[in-house]
Amino acid sequence: MNAKKTMTLNLTDQEMRVLEELAQKKELTKTGVMKLALRLLQTLDARIEPGKKLFIEDEIGKEKSELVIL
Amino acid sequence: MTESKIYLRDGRTKALVEASLFDEATSDHLALWDRDWVPAMQAFCAGKSLSEKPEDSHWDWRRKSRAATGLLGYHTLAIVCADDLQGLMMANDISSARLPQQFGKPLIYVDFLATAPWNRPQIQDPPRYRGVGQVFLLAAIELSMSVGFKGRVGLHSLPDAEAFYENKCGFTRLGSDSSHQGLIYFEITDKQADAFRQRN
Repeated sequence: MNAKKTMTLNLTDQEMRVLEELAQKKELTKTGVMKLALRLLQTLDARIEPGKKLFIEDEIGKEKSELVIL
Repeated sequence: MTESKIYLRDGRTKALVEASLFDEATSDHLALWDRDWVPAMQAFCAGKSLSEKPEDSHWDWRRKSRAATGLLGYHTLAIVCADDLQGLMMANDISSARLPQQFGKPLIYVDFLATAPWNRPQIQDPPRYRGVGQVFLLAAIELSMSVGFKGRVGLHSLPDAEAFYENKCGFTRLGSDSSHQGLIYFEITDKQADAFRQRN
């Protein structure tokens, strides 16, 4: 088991509201949401290189829209 | 890396045999894949047409493992029995459910799952061991529960494995997916996962 470290996260009211909404929607704890966000961002950051783009495709209409990641 | 005791079924005697499930496929496992699995698959495929070869015969587990190295959201698992590699699985925990009753909720997505060539009846009859697929799916469900996803699991199945996921494991078939070479997408809910765990 990996040793765990604790950190304090200071959020604005709006950020906390979004976090709570996501936790409810995803059926996760707030910590679970933050961990999921970290895993997702790391994967996207590793996969998106210069010359590659991330798209969201409408299954029915087949329209594609680019998702711009920082 | 954690090693868990699991059981496979001897394909000849039908007896349960103790084996190990590793929550990380290491370089040692990949060395076993290189040493035994690849030559066995190549020997079976020699002279066969594309349609006669196992659908995963081209999978390069070394490359797949390398692509997932260091990524928190990806997991590679290995099963070893009698000092031989018996199966490999790669799964991620950054995917979302598609079934209407759990749409958008996170799940464990099984990217790749394969049993060793000698465990496949079409290559070796009787197979050396049975049950690798079930053990991996149980591991995916356990992983799903451990990260708070309540047992939800999804995957795209190769055509030959569709009946296994649908009939033996109780997954719901969601149809062909054009973004995955037309493969059928399957998903299991928390309740289906619970039922599968109780059956196994």
